[in-house]
Amino acid sequence: MRERITVYLGGVVVLGLAMVPFVPGAPDSYLFYFLFLFFLHTAIAQSWNLVAGFTGQISLGQHAFFGLGAYTTALIWQRQLFGESYGYYFDPLVLILSGLVAGIFALMVGFPLLAKLRGDYFALGTLGFGEIIRVAFVKGGQFTGGPFGIIMPSSVYETLRPHYWVGLALAGGLTYMIHRIRRSHFGLALISVRDDELAASSHGIDILKYKLIAFALGAVFTGIAGSLYGHYLFHVSPDGFLNLNWTLYPILMAVIGGSGTVLGPVVGAFAMTAVFTLASVSYPEIHPIFSGAVIILVMLFMPNGIMRLAKR
Amino acid sequence: MSIFRLLTAGCVAILAAISGMVPGALAAGDEIVIGAPISLTGIFAADGLEQKWGYEQAIADANARGGVFVKAAGKKLPVRLVVADDESEPGKVAGAMERLIKVDKVDLLLSTHGGPMNVAGAIVAEKYKKFYMMTTCFPFMWSPQNFKWSALFFFTAGSAAEVPFKIWNSLPEDQRPQRPALVSEDTPDGHGFGGAFKSFAKQYGYSFAVDEPWAVGAKDYSAHILKMKAAKVDAILLFGAPADSITLVRQMKEHGLSVKYLHGWKGTWTGEFHDALGKDSDYVIADGFWSADFPYAGSAELGERYFKQFNKPSVTIGAFYANAQVLLEAIERAGTLDSAAVRDAVVGGTYENTVVGKLSFDDKGLALIESTANQWFDGKQHLFYPPVEGGWQVKLAPAWNER
Repeated sequence: MRERITVYLGGVVVLGLAMVPFVPGAPDSYLFYFLFLFFLHTAIAQSWNLVAGFTGQISLGQHAFFGLGAYTTALIWQRQLFGESYGYYFDPLVLILSGLVAGIFALMVGFPLLAKLRGDYFALGTLGFGEIIRVAFVKGGQFTGGPFGIIMPSSVYETLRPHYWVGLALAGGLTYMIHRIRRSHFGLALISVRDDELAASSHGIDILKYKLIAFALGAVFTGIAGSLYGHYLFHVSPDGFLNLNWTLYPILMAVIGGSGTVLGPVVGAFAMTAVFTLASVSYPEIHPIFSGAVIILVMLFMPNGIMRLAKR
Repeated sequence: MSIFRLLTAGCVAILAAISGMVPGALAAGDEIVIGAPISLTGIFAADGLEQKWGYEQAIADANARGGVFVKAAGKKLPVRLVVADDESEPGKVAGAMERLIKVDKVDLLLSTHGGPMNVAGAIVAEKYKKFYMMTTCFPFMWSPQNFKWSALFFFTAGSAAEVPFKIWNSLPEDQRPQRPALVSEDTPDGHGFGGAFKSFAKQYGYSFAVDEPWAVGAKDYSAHILKMKAAKVDAILLFGAPADSITLVRQMKEHGLSVKYLHGWKGTWTGEFHDALGKDSDYVIADGFWSADFPYAGSAELGERYFKQFNKPSVTIGAFYANAQVLLEAIERAGTLDSAAVRDAVVGGTYENTVVGKLSFDDKGLALIESTANQWFDGKQHLFYPPVEGGWQVKLAPAWNER
């Protein structure tokens, strides 16, 4: 009953947030940009949560999927793959393809890694994959724009509204999907793989299949988030998108909020986006110290994440 | 209180804090607010602090003259600088600009530092139609985009890359390098420079005995050094970050690799380069955007002011000071703080009295300056290119064991 109320409340909050762009002056406020960043961070934190929090596979290669999604968008747009008159800006097909390309890469690299490696070794394997992708795009010559990357035409930009709505849909949809997954056979299989692979295997669960699906799903949504951020920056480059921050942020946000919970990454994304924002405005020259201190304090006093405080 | 109520209360408080972020300022119209995304943290923080200082000095000097006359206001208005940290990352420049435009409500913008970051800033300027006055970005990154809301003055990678060859050909024939090496980092700027170096080498009749790209942030360049030693190189053209350049010179000494001519870009001009290497920085040549030895009005005084405050020289502050000079003068010419009018005052305009000399902007908003070459000696940087009357003559370096 309580869970159903939480879902309804969540739905009301999402609907309320979806109305914000209609408030006069709202899209021009900094708060609007903050909420867009919060949605983006929630999406990447939830994606990592699905792979690591629910399936127990620590991925350190999320920045590769984020970058692959963004580069797919940039390449499709720059090369006008669907014709000159096609509207590439926020085209659903472009967004979905960006996610799919990241997902396909996840399947290709995930199969050998997940079949052979576990724990720290898998984490290091994904880190290596991320580095391979980064160097490949830096060295990609004219195809990837090399270290400078690809610029998309910013003249199409009119307002932050579409970024906001797509971000909200991605974050809200992904959170609802994880809620549904958690209660499904699929979700229980993922949790059993996380808790005890041997026991799960002895009960007939195809461990590799479930790990692979979770890894690919996480990559698809991270790729769509990368595409969304590319639509915001209009400049996709290795420095901006294949940066290790895009792996560290989701881990930080999911862990601080409570990995393996449905709302933990949402709370963590909100908290950390707020900490980063307020610190950089209040202490522009020393904000990493402030942000670092907050992270240490949260980990000291809430080692299982903010959401698990509720279970105490 | 349950955890959910506590979380809800926390969220509301944070949202209220963010929506309530307002600058301490005079009433709108009573001052000119200039915003600048600057690298206050991250790998370009050292550059960013010089940039911030350069902007602050230009604005303080304008305010000391009573402010900038704005015809629309009918009086001189004081100028206030607001900076936001871009964390030395292109992606974070956008966030810093959002804050400057939406929270601090800046009237106009001065640029951050470096090519990809400045392009990121120019894109935000296009989105919000705010004029963004830029320097320290190679035109090959900015010009093809046909941006409408930014203007740029800087040198081309090509003209800067030609400098060492001009210098070499000015040396007596027996002193010219025979086996130079090219070590250029794997970045957009590094690739831009690397390509231009190779093209000019061919044009001036030189060929590189070693041509090795190097990774940013590597801690050991022994492999590069041993390869150069084996190839008996006698000159190095080096494009790399300050920390990497310091490491390379240190390891060159450890491995006994002596070259008579070491010309660095990007990494050898900072005060930290000399602080870290001491006497070993002698004879090393550094690029620069500006020099206190320039004969332009205010240059020497600006250099002295910086040296007095930090006890080290700078070859960048003048470019940043001039960037603010152009913007402030453009406001006065436009007679308004309207971005389009200020842009129109810069594009196609000529600015005579800046500390980098005369700047003539073309119809796209680009003005070209010349890259400088300065040689470290006794903790000072001496300008020798472009040559000034009675100025420093380049000294070729003796071997490490003969110093």
